[in-house]
Amino acid sequence: MDPLKFGVLVKLEPDFSEGNVSYNADGTLNRAETKSILGPHSAVACSAAFYGKVKFGAKVMVGTMGPPIADSALQQAQMICDADELHLYSDRLFAGADTLATAEVLKTGVEKATIGKADIVFSGHRASDGETGQTGPQTAWKLGYSFLGNVIDYDLDPEKRLIRAKRLISLQGFHDVIEEVESPLPAFLALDPSYKPFFHKVSERLAEQKYLKEARERARDYKKYLTVFNVQQLGVDPKKVGLPGSPTIVYKVEKIPKAMASRKAQVIDGSDAASIRGVAEKIYQVLGGDVK
Amino acid sequence: MEDFDAAIIGGGTAGLAALKQLANLGRQAVLIEAGKDTGTKNVSGGILYSKKPRHGKVFNAEDVFGSSFLAEAPYERKITKYILHATSGNKDYSIDLTRAHEYQSNYGCSVLLNKLISWLSVVAEESAQKFGGGIVSGVHVRSVKPEAAAEGSRMIIETDELEPFRCKAVIAADGVNSETAVMTGAREKFSQTELYQGVKVIVKMPEQIIEERFGIGPEEGAAHLFAGDVTLNHIGGGFVYTNRSTLSVGAVYHMDSLMENPAQPSALVDALIRNPVVSELLRDEVPVKSEVDKDLPKEEQLRTRFAVSKMVKNWTELRDAYYSPTGSQKMIESGKYKTREELKARLDSIRSDLESKYSTKFVSDYVELEYSAKLVPDGKRCMMKKPYHDNVLFIGDAAGRGVFIGPRIEGLNVGIDDAVRAANAISRALDRNDFGKSMGEHYSQSIEESPFTHDMREIDKDYLKIFLEATRGVPKDIVGQRYGMIFRLMSSSTLRGLAVGLANILGYDRLLPLVESVDTYVQVPMEIAEKMGRSVDATYQPTIPSLADRIARLSYDDDRKSHILVTDPQSEFIKKMVVLCPTACYSQEPDGKVTLQHEACVECGTCSKGTEWHHPRGEKGVIYQYG
Ligand SMILES: Cc1cc2nc3c(=O)[nH]c(=O)nc-3n(C[C@H](O)[C@H](O)[C@H](O)COP(=O)(O)OP(=O)(O)OC[C@H]3O[C@@H](n4cnc5c(N)ncnc54)[C@H](O)[C@@H]3O)c2cc1C
Ligand code: SF4
Repeated sequence: MDPLKFGVLVKLEPDFSEGNVSYNADGTLNRAETKSILGPHSAVACSAAFYGKVKFGAKVMVGTMGPPIADSALQQAQMICDADELHLYSDRLFAGADTLATAEVLKTGVEKATIGKADIVFSGHRASDGETGQTGPQTAWKLGYSFLGNVIDYDLDPEKRLIRAKRLISLQGFHDVIEEVESPLPAFLALDPSYKPFFHKVSERLAEQKYLKEARERARDYKKYLTVFNVQQLGVDPKKVGLPGSPTIVYKVEKIPKAMASRKAQVIDGSDAASIRGVAEKIYQVLGGDVK
Repeated sequence: MEDFDAAIIGGGTAGLAALKQLANLGRQAVLIEAGKDTGTKNVSGGILYSKKPRHGKVFNAEDVFGSSFLAEAPYERKITKYILHATSGNKDYSIDLTRAHEYQSNYGCSVLLNKLISWLSVVAEESAQKFGGGIVSGVHVRSVKPEAAAEGSRMIIETDELEPFRCKAVIAADGVNSETAVMTGAREKFSQTELYQGVKVIVKMPEQIIEERFGIGPEEGAAHLFAGDVTLNHIGGGFVYTNRSTLSVGAVYHMDSLMENPAQPSALVDALIRNPVVSELLRDEVPVKSEVDKDLPKEEQLRTRFAVSKMVKNWTELRDAYYSPTGSQKMIESGKYKTREELKARLDSIRSDLESKYSTKFVSDYVELEYSAKLVPDGKRCMMKKPYHDNVLFIGDAAGRGVFIGPRIEGLNVGIDDAVRAANAISRALDRNDFGKSMGEHYSQSIEESPFTHDMREIDKDYLKIFLEATRGVPKDIVGQRYGMIFRLMSSSTLRGLAVGLANILGYDRLLPLVESVDTYVQVPMEIAEKMGRSVDATYQPTIPSLADRIARLSYDDDRKSHILVTDPQSEFIKKMVVLCPTACYSQEPDGKVTLQHEACVECGTCSKGTEWHHPRGEKGVIYQYG
């Protein structure tokens, strides 16, 4: 049987972790100063693909649309999922793309993979830098794949070409529900941020180590696996990508005003015993003297 | 169920040597280690020896990991100086035991287990992968048993994390607190009489300052051992070993003497550190921040604290680089500084800013990085007579094997020798498809032939001779009046052979209570120090961290579920743990009952004998950075 083929769609995003973000004076994000990394949701998608690689020996292609420096996201992705092929879709004509125009590029890119037609495409739940979670479903729709969102676990039957997935459904005012669904391949999976691969067998753990080592080695030399596509090389219709391909109209961007803090904070210097005692007494008071 | 040829439980030095040797023989083996990464659970003093006994053969690290072991493995320093100190108060009498240290040795080098084991793992795993094996870490083995007779003679291994699997042979390398030994019924837990407790701290010190302080060259190292009043009346002693840019400072005491006269393990290390000879060895220059003026505006106070912390960090990093040839070189290559002098100028300028602008003082003190503890099995008393059970072969600490005779401390190399013998026995059994008793007996026989087994059983008169020659300067009356006849016989070159022969007929069982006594480790050294020692005056008072600070500095991955169950909270044994647990996990309630809070446990095993004791689940528990 041919090995399974996976596509993973990722995104380079500003690093929102503490100490790495930089803001302009007006409070907007200073993109030039902020470090960029593989988005955290994209990393989850990579680890889901890695799970399948370890369990079923799948071949993996990771693709991203972005500026030339987005190849660093591909390198980080390769480190996680030991990708066999990396795609960067990069062209000035892609600029200003909304989710639909992005989906057009990604769909065409997935179909260009030299490893072959993808049985499963993985994406993150959404991007962290102002995205609506639409790119995944729209790409799935363009590819004609079944779409499974909020996936927290999955397993495959490669012979029967079936995927069985668990989806986490959060309902307002109701407790979370885990839904189990089955779908024929090909399928498109958007991973829930809580997804974590777990290997239950010794052989899987051994394979995991082997692939991780291979991933580190490949990522050191990631350019060898990388193909950069522009509009022509991708063969997309220029009218369907970038600004011209984006039906979304951004009428006006409103800044969300900073909410007034409703609680008053008091800064306490904890360098001496007396002030620490003060804190303890305050807590004691708040708890109504219930604790000693 | 998945099947493998061999499984190894425990990824310490012994387990990894077994994995590598099995791969050297072209065999498939998987190694299961509980720690998240290998090397995070292991502690040693430690000096790794490579030995060349006159009679018989031992397998050293380079026999397993390749002849380039010394060139490639991350050891710390080759120990070229080995000094024993007899102490009493500020009196110190030192005896040069370098010849004893070099006895039948190719080398002995200081090692930090986290670093060494990481390297051993990479090398062993790479080889093992070629034969379908490898290392699985973060997995805790909870049961090892033979499969039902009708199905064959394989062993079934169950873990807390993975599906059970089967293998033809097992190597138990799970250390002194081996659960495999207990769950297979191969032996009981070791008794207090068979164990030593070791406690250690890692002290930071720049590379070239170590060399200057200890009088050694860049590739050389020193070991200092201590007996006398530093032991606080216990059988055993202290040590200070030089690593590349740290020192290992620790104490190893016999459990019997600790049970008889309980002392908090960290206080035992403190006693050692307070000894002026030791504190002078540890002395370094340490910045002490001054109190920030409380009258300043809050923002200004915060800014000052932040600035001082940052400058102190810079100063420390630059200083480490300045006092290390490779560190300076790196700084210069990075283009930050053109010369070493420029680096020094920057260092001095940060220092003077810290002093003048922020009233930071630079004082003599020492800096601790990590506190650790672990039991040591005394091979003379507890090596397994039958180191196998079903298809399981026991090696290293798990088999209770180690040569601990006076200043001679060898467990790492003994475990590696065992590992090769066990791997060879398994390979042979795989060829013949003949496991169980036949494999076990073959391994037992091989172990019997190991010169280390001989050393665990009998006094080596040549080693004794070197030892006695080194102590020639000690007046005969101090020792003679206590050991009388034995000492006179042992000291005479013509009668020594006979005396050793007689002693060996008596056997260690009867000899040990005589030789391993408070007299030997405390009284005699004190008397020697008082009569013949030089006075050493401390030039500073070391600021020793509290136990709470030491624990706070350790890393843990807490498990909500306790891995230890106290079965009898009123027993005399458990009451002693209130003092003897190195991280004070036990406390006594007003009603006399003892309770356990397992969160700070460093898995030393001291309380194991009186509790239902397991290692924590995979990835959980303490994570050592040095070991
Ligand atoms: C303070 C001190 C000083 C010492 N000084 C020296 C010295 O100078 N020279 C010297 O040669 N020796 C010295 N020793 C002894 C030496 O450190 C030990 O003999 C050696 O480290 C033992 O190695 P090992 O591989 O047998 O066991 P360990 O290193 O204890 O390894 C056992 C491994 O098994 C794992 N494990 C345990 N149970 C399970 C389970 N159920 N499932 C999965 N994994 C498990 C543990 O996590 C651990 O990694 C010293 C020891 C101490 C404590
Ligand atoms: S609880 Fe037991 S095993 Fe843990 S550190 Fe204390 S004595 Fe050692």
